[in-house]
Amino acid sequence: MASASDVRSILSLPAVSSPAAGPSQPKNQVAVSNRKPEGISRELYSLIGPSAPTLLAQLAQPRLKQKPNLGGGGKVKWEWRLFKNGARSDSLKLGHWVKATDNPDADYKFAKYNAQPTVYEWSQDEYSRHLEDSEWTKEETEYLFKLAQEYDIRWHIINDRYEYPSGPKREIEDLKDRYYSVCRKLIRNRTWAGDEFSKSQLLLSFQYDKEREILRKKYVASLANRTPEQIQEEEALYIEIKRLDQNERQFKRDRENLLRTIAGVDSGLPDIIEDDASLIIADPKKKKLKGIDLDIPQTPVLTAPVMRRPPALNKNAVYDTTHCIIRNDPPSTTPATKVAHTPAYFRSVRISYPKAGIADKVNALLAEVGVTNSRLVMPTHANCQRLESVTDAATNLIELKRVLDKVNLDIEVLKNRLQLREDGGDSASVADATEMDDRGDTAEPEGENGRSQSVLSARSTRSRKHTRRSMSISSVDTTVATSSRPSTKRQKRM
Amino acid sequence: MVNYGGDEVSALVIDIGSSSLRAGYAGDDAPKAIIPSSYGYIPPSVHSDNGDVRMNESGASESVSKAKSFFGHSGPSIWRANMEIGNPITDGLITDFGPIPALFRHALEDVMRCSASEHPILVTEPSWNTTANRERMAEIMFEEFQVPAFYVANTSVLNTFAAGKGSALVIDIGQSTASVVPVVDGFVLRKGLQHSSLPKLVHAHARHLLTAPNPVRRPADLYPYQLISSKQAVEPNAPPRYTLREDRLAGTTQSWREWYEAREVEEWVQSVAGVLDQGWNDQLIVQHRQHKQYEFPTGYNAWFGPERFGVGEMYFHHSPQLVAGNPDIPKHIPGLITDSLRACDPELRQVLISNVVLTGGGSLFSGLADRLGSELARSFPHFKIHAPGNPIERRYGGWLGGSILASLGTFHQLWISREEWQEHGKAIVGQRCK
Repeated sequence: MASASDVRSILSLPAVSSPAAGPSQPKNQVAVSNRKPEGISRELYSLIGPSAPTLLAQLAQPRLKQKPNLGGGGKVKWEWRLFKNGARSDSLKLGHWVKATDNPDADYKFAKYNAQPTVYEWSQDEYSRHLEDSEWTKEETEYLFKLAQEYDIRWHIINDRYEYPSGPKREIEDLKDRYYSVCRKLIRNRTWAGDEFSKSQLLLSFQYDKEREILRKKYVASLANRTPEQIQEEEALYIEIKRLDQNERQFKRDRENLLRTIAGVDSGLPDIIEDDASLIIADPKKKKLKGIDLDIPQTPVLTAPVMRRPPALNKNAVYDTTHCIIRNDPPSTTPATKVAHTPAYFRSVRISYPKAGIADKVNALLAEVGVTNSRLVMPTHANCQRLESVTDAATNLIELKRVLDKVNLDIEVLKNRLQLREDGGDSASVADATEMDDRGDTAEPEGENGRSQSVLSARSTRSRKHTRRSMSISSVDTTVATSSRPSTKRQKRM
Repeated sequence: MVNYGGDEVSALVIDIGSSSLRAGYAGDDAPKAIIPSSYGYIPPSVHSDNGDVRMNESGASESVSKAKSFFGHSGPSIWRANMEIGNPITDGLITDFGPIPALFRHALEDVMRCSASEHPILVTEPSWNTTANRERMAEIMFEEFQVPAFYVANTSVLNTFAAGKGSALVIDIGQSTASVVPVVDGFVLRKGLQHSSLPKLVHAHARHLLTAPNPVRRPADLYPYQLISSKQAVEPNAPPRYTLREDRLAGTTQSWREWYEAREVEEWVQSVAGVLDQGWNDQLIVQHRQHKQYEFPTGYNAWFGPERFGVGEMYFHHSPQLVAGNPDIPKHIPGLITDSLRACDPELRQVLISNVVLTGGGSLFSGLADRLGSELARSFPHFKIHAPGNPIERRYGGWLGGSILASLGTFHQLWISREEWQEHGKAIVGQRCK
């Protein structure tokens, strides 16, 4: 928007410089050039310098907020200037208001938007060589190209205005097809200045498939020409299909679960899925007619997938050996349940590891003989078997050694016992003596230290008495400490 | 100052319709001069009283040039003895170019106080305008008004521009014509162009309703104020008590009287008539709809109930009996829309129906936009109606679009200059204004 000063300059009025001007007119301050002396910070100088805020400013009349000066300030001289539009072929001069500072010789700035589409032309020779078409005359083709240029290749308009006298009725697809095919032929047959890529790009931009367009338009028309009833029916059908689909999926899930339970088949039942697919695709119209009955699926065939198990089960030894197939027969004893079923797996997963209790020892042993028990680099069937046998052997060895050690220990213990039994009296007196010592030790701090008593108070004095007694009695039989409750009970009963 | 690609060259825009002529500067948001298209003239036979009455066929325009003519707001609406009323427009087209220069001159010089020779002028035309008509208009502009540059633009396209669109289905309801025009990329699709004199039918229906004998109400006399000297207040539906100005009756011409009666009917239609937004429903009307009171210049006043909705129903539905009685009855709006879309490419239909522009003073009829929405909803799942709420924009949409177009920087290359006119003659109009 032009400000007041713009208007004034347009109307060639003198600028208002009297102090009685409106509050929006900022007074022209005399520019005082006092530079900030060196060595004083800017903030400080603004406080003490000549521009320091004075009381006068605060006592001055309150003013309205200044209008923002968007035009860069100052006076702008506008003038009515005639201009020539570069997009025009004649010498029409229109006038408009421009800033006087603008370059009068500059091109009209909207002229550059006058972009013309490239229009292909051809010589008679070119036409007769490449562009002949039984359905189009040269004149009509020229008429088409003239229209295309006139309406900037807006096909709907061209089609609307297309009135070639004594020509056949043309559909928009005919026009497009002719236009694009002519353009393609011309590009193909002319020498091309640029590289091949840009040529093929350009050719691609003129690609037009008439049949497809007609088909597409037919679809659009049929879509638009539906009656409300048809639209409703279509929607109903769509919902119906969705519902059926959902039912189907539910049914499939149920069946799969059932199969897992019964036959122990897990994942990968492609035949079942196919079965479902064919079921869904089956004529929707027919389904629609049947209506709600379809909630009950038509093919509750439990046996079908089982019967159709792939021929993987037939055991052909010759076939297997020639193809290096090794079968792991599932243990026949286990029931055919889901738990028993094993899906596909890596052979290396099946390598058995030693039991956790002796694993360390086995590993140590294997390491000693130079076999690593970690994953095999090449877990072939033979390798796995061999590793397994080695591990088994090591495990057996360790087990045997353990048994041996145990037996040895037992022998040792029994020998000791025999020894003890031979000189029994000595051992009893010794035991009494130690017991007496023990009692003296515990009794002594009882009087001196209350704290230790409190610590010991967990044990009742009575139980201690029993202990003592039982110890004295049972010390003959066993060396095991007899503070346990069952033993005291037994003592009581005695 | 170059905002939105605008560059104002102080062009003038003139939009002429059946009821009014709008003129103003391009770039404004409303026309400066709005004057009635109808004009009054006193034929020279009466005026000069010489008795040399020429009765040839082209007499109308010939006589107007000699007759004393009255334009503008104090033209036809003021009673003058022996003044006839003329209107250059028939069915949206200018059929009588005689008074056109005088009308334009009145708008530009008497109302706007500017000279046409200093400004490029953009004139509007209806979509079904003839080549001869637009060439004649160019001739008038260049030869009589000495304009430096001229352009003629299509009202439907301009209405599309006024709505800020490039493609639209323009439903323009004027005083005499209703049209449905598909516009694509700023061009009218001529094959889909549909128009009918539906507003006239509605007008005739309303007039019949008011003046025909009726079991409920007495027929109203449509005397204008100018012919009534005194009247007294009466009870609703009571016979009016008024006295006519006998002195004027003798000098009143038939055309002036008809014009004024039409205005009375128009006023009644605008203030009382309406249309139901969901189609005709007897129960709904009886239960919910308010009666409206209206007083005619004679002092006769009455309450109007359900019948006021019957008037608007004519826009959307014609009863089978009516169609049977009048085979060439003007098509109603849904019919026009259907025919228009049928002629368009199937691909375009969805584009058009989702860009419906409702415009024209007739579209301000009470409830029309809502009803149009419910009518469209019946046949099209996705549609959108652009109907400006501002009555100025609705009534002068064509002018507004012209104002936008003629102030665009990129438009200035399209003006037909005086030089081109002199060089190429009439042919340039058809070449430039597509």
